[in-house]
Amino acid sequence: MYPDKHKEIVTSLMEGKFITVEDLLFETIKKNEDFYTTFFENSFDFELIGNQDFYYLVSSETNENTSRDISIFFSILCYELDKDGKNFLEELNYSEFHIDEILEYFNNSSWSDVIKANNQLKNDESLKRHLGTMVKRNIAVKQGNDRYSFTKAHKLFIDFAKDLIKEEVTQK
Amino acid sequence: MASHYDLLRDLFDLQVKNDIITKESLNICLENYDKNIREQLTEYQILIEQNDDFAFNQPYFVLFEFIHQQFKPLLPEEIEHFGQAIRTLFLKIKEGINDDKNILLERIEALSNQIKKFTNAVVNNTKSLLTESRELKANNKKIDYQEKIHKARYLIENYISPLNTILDVNHSQSIYNELLNVSQFTNVKRFDYADESIRREFEKLYHLLRQVAKDLNLQSVTLTNELLPLIERIKTESQYLRGFHFYLTNGNCYKEIEPPRIFVSTRDNIYNKFVYENTKEYFEQFKHEEEVFVVEDSEQTNDWLFDKSKYKEILNKNLPVDDFFKWCESSIKQENENFSFDNFFMVTSLIFEEDYEISVNKDGKNISISNENSELIMPKLTIKKQEDVSR
Repeated sequence: MYPDKHKEIVTSLMEGKFITVEDLLFETIKKNEDFYTTFFENSFDFELIGNQDFYYLVSSETNENTSRDISIFFSILCYELDKDGKNFLEELNYSEFHIDEILEYFNNSSWSDVIKANNQLKNDESLKRHLGTMVKRNIAVKQGNDRYSFTKAHKLFIDFAKDLIKEEVTQK
Repeated sequence: MASHYDLLRDLFDLQVKNDIITKESLNICLENYDKNIREQLTEYQILIEQNDDFAFNQPYFVLFEFIHQQFKPLLPEEIEHFGQAIRTLFLKIKEGINDDKNILLERIEALSNQIKKFTNAVVNNTKSLLTESRELKANNKKIDYQEKIHKARYLIENYISPLNTILDVNHSQSIYNELLNVSQFTNVKRFDYADESIRREFEKLYHLLRQVAKDLNLQSVTLTNELLPLIERIKTESQYLRGFHFYLTNGNCYKEIEPPRIFVSTRDNIYNKFVYENTKEYFEQFKHEEEVFVVEDSEQTNDWLFDKSKYKEILNKNLPVDDFFKWCESSIKQENENFSFDNFFMVTSLIFEEDYEISVNKDGKNISISNENSELIMPKLTIKKQEDVSR
């Protein structure tokens, strides 16, 4: 017997989606974590990675470009939120952003060289597409009225940036 | 003062900012308000001259600080100074408890004063540090994160941590603990001292200390519940911000740093819900395709090809030739009576071969070559083998 919603879980993960703690499927995977780890490993040679916030799959290949675009997106957004006097950690966890608000942060950012060099972030149209990509992966959620919120999956990308400093210190 | 309040407020801000009011800025300020009260300001000792510049007289400065609740945080050393005075006075009181009554009374009074000043300093410091930290957190001045972290660290190291030590119950050397000792001692003496007036002074001091303990406790709570978490949050965020800064600086994000591994979602193609429809559609597009006939061009063209080696061989046999162009004409006519000039020029290209020596015929006459369409007038050229040329 497979766990409830087995097909939905497998399909979502195989589409590159994050299943986050906000999602009902999260509990099912958590309860059957050993099963799913073995299932993906034996069937496809994929690794299931999970923590208290989200589950996702990785394989021997990685979509480096998309991941880089998302990492840069969050780095710049947080940086600008902080400059605006906001608690970016709380904002990402609990706030909704209107698309225009996000576009404005990027248009007025001091990281314009990084933004211009990135095809997914360089103008309003590409940024909107990029948000679409994040929605597909369940990193962002479209709330209607052009408003977006972020799921707990955003932590993967901001913690990654934070840990760069630790690595740098350890290397030294 | 009431009628010139706005002007005084501006002067106060100037002094807070620059520690002094320069002569020039005082004049500008007076002009701005169109008031000629410089004389009065010094006459009433609101401002005092410092060389050529001015500063608020201390009591007025303190008054303005109090009115605007805008205090310059005191350095821990300045607060510690009150602590020292309290310790010394307390020691003197204990040692000289049986000394002259008058000096004991004055020491108790002085101790009360120092305690009041100390409490005031702590309350004002907490207030101003809280304001500064909140402003820093809100980043009203839109300063860069590095500067912000620098400021936060500066506040923590130089003001907040030392203030915390001063108020720390668990720190044996803290002034707060010293005050508790004073309080205990006073509590005993207010009952068991022989002289009534001294007992009354101890009583007053004891009540002051009870109030002070409450006030300081409140400051300590503000410090632990609000100020420290605020600073802690600035620190946590700074770890992230340092990461973002490092990642984005110098285009590092495009260099060696590998982003987190994420799944390549194109694999879902084989599970695509529409794979059947898509395949069907793909094949159906060929089903009704009309047959296409390619009609080949049946007309044959007579392409003449210049066989260079053959012509060169014939030419070599006939060398030397007096009239090279006529020779070309007759040679090509043997093959094709209706030659074109294109064909003719191909044959004439033999003239560029290296083995021949060309010279213009001495009589200087031109010759004519014609076909059915046109006529060429050309010089008469003699062509020889190079070895025939006399050196």
